[in-house]
Amino acid sequence: MIVAEQKPLQEIRRMISPYERVLILGCGTCMTVCDAGGEREVSFLHNALRLAQSKGGNEAHRFLEYTLKRQCESEFLETLVDKVGDVDAILSLGCGIGVQAIAERFPDTPVLPGVNTSFMGMSKEQGVWDERCAACGDCRLEDTAGICPITRCTKGILNGPCAGTKNGKCEANKDMDCAWVLIYKRLERLGQLEKMRRYYPMRNFRAIPRPKRLVRTPVGVGEDNG
Amino acid sequence: MANSLFEEKLHSDEFLVTTEVGPPKGVDVSEMIHHIDILKDKVDAINMTDHQSSVMRFPSLGGCLLVKERGGEPILQMTCRDRNRLALQADLLLAYSRGIVNVLCLTGDSIDVGDHKEAKPVFDSDSVQLLRMIRTLESGKDIAGNDLKGAPKFCIGASVHPEADFIEPQLVKFDKKVSAGAQFFQTQGIFDLGSLRRFMQYASQFDVKILAGIIVLASARMAQYMNANVPGIIISQAIIDELAGVEKGKGLQKGIEIAARFIKTIKEENLCHGVHIMAVGNESIVPDIIEAAQLVVAPR
Amino acid sequence: MYPSMYGNTHSYPAYRKETATRERSFIPPCQAACPLHMDIREYVDLVAQGRIMEALQVIRSGNPFPSICAYVCNHRCEDACRRSQVDKPIAIRALKRFALEFGGDRMVQVEAQTRHPEKVAIVGSGPAGMACAYYLRKLGYPAAIFEAHSELGGMLRVGIPRYRLPREVLDIEIQRLTQMGVEIRTSTRVVSLDLLFDMGYKAVFITIGAHQSLRMGIDGEESPGVVDGATFLREVNLGLKPSLGERIAVVGGGNVAIDAARTALRLGTHEVYILYRRSQAEMPADPAELEQTLQEGVRIQSLVTPTKIERQDGRLKVTCVRMELGEPDASGRRRPVPVEDSEFNEDFDTLITAIGQAPQTPGDFRVQIGRGSTIQVDPITLSTNRIGVFAGGDAVTGPATVVEALAAGRLAASRIDDYLEHRYPSVSKEEQETLVGDLLPETVEMIRKTGRLDAPLLPAEARIKEFEPIELVYDWETAVNEARRCLRCGMGAEILFQDKCATCLTCLRVCPYHVPHLDTKGTIQIPVDQCQACGVCVAECPAKAIVLRKPYDRRHVTEELDHVLKSATESKVSPLIIGFCCQYGLFGTGTLANLWRAAKAGIWIIPVLCIAKVEADHLLRAFEMGAEGVFVAGCGEQCARESTTSWVGHQVQKARKVLAEVGLEPNRLRMYVPSAADANPAEWLDRFVEQIGGLYLASVIMQEVKVDSR
Repeated sequence: MIVAEQKPLQEIRRMISPYERVLILGCGTCMTVCDAGGEREVSFLHNALRLAQSKGGNEAHRFLEYTLKRQCESEFLETLVDKVGDVDAILSLGCGIGVQAIAERFPDTPVLPGVNTSFMGMSKEQGVWDERCAACGDCRLEDTAGICPITRCTKGILNGPCAGTKNGKCEANKDMDCAWVLIYKRLERLGQLEKMRRYYPMRNFRAIPRPKRLVRTPVGVGEDNG
Repeated sequence: MANSLFEEKLHSDEFLVTTEVGPPKGVDVSEMIHHIDILKDKVDAINMTDHQSSVMRFPSLGGCLLVKERGGEPILQMTCRDRNRLALQADLLLAYSRGIVNVLCLTGDSIDVGDHKEAKPVFDSDSVQLLRMIRTLESGKDIAGNDLKGAPKFCIGASVHPEADFIEPQLVKFDKKVSAGAQFFQTQGIFDLGSLRRFMQYASQFDVKILAGIIVLASARMAQYMNANVPGIIISQAIIDELAGVEKGKGLQKGIEIAARFIKTIKEENLCHGVHIMAVGNESIVPDIIEAAQLVVAPR
Repeated sequence: MYPSMYGNTHSYPAYRKETATRERSFIPPCQAACPLHMDIREYVDLVAQGRIMEALQVIRSGNPFPSICAYVCNHRCEDACRRSQVDKPIAIRALKRFALEFGGDRMVQVEAQTRHPEKVAIVGSGPAGMACAYYLRKLGYPAAIFEAHSELGGMLRVGIPRYRLPREVLDIEIQRLTQMGVEIRTSTRVVSLDLLFDMGYKAVFITIGAHQSLRMGIDGEESPGVVDGATFLREVNLGLKPSLGERIAVVGGGNVAIDAARTALRLGTHEVYILYRRSQAEMPADPAELEQTLQEGVRIQSLVTPTKIERQDGRLKVTCVRMELGEPDASGRRRPVPVEDSEFNEDFDTLITAIGQAPQTPGDFRVQIGRGSTIQVDPITLSTNRIGVFAGGDAVTGPATVVEALAAGRLAASRIDDYLEHRYPSVSKEEQETLVGDLLPETVEMIRKTGRLDAPLLPAEARIKEFEPIELVYDWETAVNEARRCLRCGMGAEILFQDKCATCLTCLRVCPYHVPHLDTKGTIQIPVDQCQACGVCVAECPAKAIVLRKPYDRRHVTEELDHVLKSATESKVSPLIIGFCCQYGLFGTGTLANLWRAAKAGIWIIPVLCIAKVEADHLLRAFEMGAEGVFVAGCGEQCARESTTSWVGHQVQKARKVLAEVGLEPNRLRMYVPSAADANPAEWLDRFVEQIGGLYLASVIMQEVKVDSR
């Protein structure tokens, strides 16, 4: 799941200040799940901005609310066609992908990012999300008993641990587990410690060059495949 | 055939003594030069730290050049935190060309503990990969497989953490470093000889030299601070109490006494192959420790 | 134009319009079990909110004579109540009585106008006849009741004893019928229906009840001293005081038998026995009444039946035989079989037989009679074999309950209307599903168990001295607390917009009752028969896809808020303080009621049906429209639902964060949750008002508030 956090209200107010009519646009997929930009957050942000406006005095915005199922698909964006003419800017609560998709589809309307897209992660308990994947394009979870050293080790090293681990926690953040201690323990449990004893050469940081693209070639239809 | 004086000593049976000097934050290197001068004849080699604790400083390579200039034997501490594989290889080529061939390969402290907390952490390589990188360069190729015009030769070492609370993963790492070609190890600060003994029981099977890290504490507060904030340091309560027990102003004296005590024991009982005295910020007292521990370094 | 909650008039709705305003709720088991299909869930909820007058209105809209049912109904609703899966069912009948008494049912006037010329005759004035008359008048028909006795009421008058149904209650209902224009002819026994048609009546409803006692068929049954129960009760209810002697027996196990036994006690007989041929557990009488009977000192001899009666020396020598339970009979109950050689004799002064009653229909009526002497009717139209002649009540079903008779009377009125209007008598196809299903153990575990609060009874010794009503009415606090135990079956949450649901699992994780779950296709389901309608998931759902099934519940908070804000801003009293207060329990009964009464000028209370329904949006809205301070007051530990306080706390935190970001002090928004029973909300409120007043003054001085802006 893509996880994001709504930008501070001050920053959002600063971004929208040049625009009178602003469409607050939510996203019904990842941003709903991580409670950063779904329909409820759209409504809440709307109320917060109106409250701020009533207390501040010199802004004069008019807000509209709308939520798309997903902002990163052109078919869903089409439903905005008749709305963009009525607004001066779109404040998107979608992730960075959504913001860019809207900007590409509607190049004449300024699009503002309402959230800071942070990471790909999971929620193990209500209200808490942890990063799990860095999209390195070269997954090695087989060697580390399903624990990613690139995301969960602060230094992202492949021949861990470093000397900074103390009580199973990382030197950089005492609330974070040392990934390599976790890896060791789980490999031990699986009886696969030899995987940790292997030498892992340096990562290929260009597994797929940036900006990355993935193309799936469709299966040929109507060809004689035999 | 040894590549350096230090390597020669590694091959001997001498009790080795090394220490480290921290470069300044700025271009005024006069104090560093002074430290080099008072230490160069008393130790077998001097480490130059590389942005220790992720605090930006005058580079270790530069420090090593100065050690060389002043007639000392440098050990280049090289971390993987700040430079990618191109920069690391380039610095190694430069180091060799200037006669700096002793390299201590470290992963490096994380950016978060330092003073430039928003910097980009590089970690293109880790310590094990760096050791192998050096061996690869020695073979006449860079790590992308290209031929080198002139191959370097180094004496390489790494760090180890015998007092880690969960020792097994550290031993796995130690093994990997040995396999990668490390010839000597400088340990993290030793405060409990029992764990050193246990570690040496395991490590003595390998043809590597272990130098026990000795940290000089100046006060109980310093000990507590290091415990809480410096990665890899675990100081026992007994030591903290000992430091707390002295009157104000005598803390450093006590610290020196404690350090000397450790060194003597290690030497007398032949626990390991030497010591690495860490007194960063207090480099001037290192000669006092050496004297108190009655260490004598063979002349070069 | 006053802007409403969801943006200005040009805005786009945040969600698509609902497809229909039909109530997407299910019929709860209480309503399904009630022969009158009363909206029990609704009026119990209104009692829980302290809105007794409205509860009374709901009751009256479903029942023509609720006061009678409040005393004597056999409460099938309670038997079906799902709360019994947790502890004991809701005391619905007692709550109904509370609502009637506190709501002033006696004061209610009923009116009716005549819109049709056709007259209808009703033969018999029991509950079925009275109900039919009531509804016929409501439909606009002239109606006349013919009653053989001198007073109206049927079994209500002559069968049910006064200590169960006070006569004043009955008389008030009859008076209302007169007010409505029902013509009443007492002491008039109808012997021929033809006469009625000759008199100009266009339709007749026969509801003569079942007053003829069944005979035991044993020797000596005609002896003096042997009386049938129906006759006995009739005599006593019409004012006679027969002397029964010191030691009497009542034969039978139903309500008539125990009514007779308890009546005998009240007449002064000290030793009263009930002889029942089956086991005590199988007695058809109401268990609660049976319990009261035993408390009063009646002794039950089970598995005993008389075989012969002899009059000897002014007393009755009754020969009885012991029974044992054999094979089950047609009704499914085990047939009692006499045990050989187990006869024994007992002496009694009086023997009362109460083994059943049957209707006694005059042959001249020429209607078809069936099993048990009951009148045969078409079950849909209630019509007999004679056109224009309808029948209902005990005369058709045999001895049954008051509420069934009321339902029959109501149905008869509408069928007679169909007949007179030449309408095809259709069966209504509009069937809402009844909610069935057992609560899951993990849900039951989380439901707060408070135990049933029964209506107080007079102590047994006091009861048998006279014929005063034995059951007292609830006091306010007990009634409200009992009503709050209701699980609100079928009123819970549902995912209205399944396409908006992102399956984020928030509802599944926040529900205190473990109700939402994933089905095999990975879709979230909120089973209607499990949901406890607390409202937490509705407030927390990030996609706003969940709503409460009752449309009123959905809009309630926002509508109240808009309404209050409008009035408050017009009144221009400063500083303006808005409080969201729970309407249930505490609000209605005690602690928070003080809050309401102590509300000073400038404080506006928005009643909410549990503070779990308050969302951060509402709180911000209040501040935006000029509130200087906002508080949320809930029931805390007394809340009938779990975890509501902590989840509202979450919404409050969210709103506070925004307040800080716009330069308002977060302390302007507070939560008040009393933890001890004697907490003083008025004191807290005073302090809060003072604090807000201070902040308000400070901001006025700083000229940050444009005083004219509201």
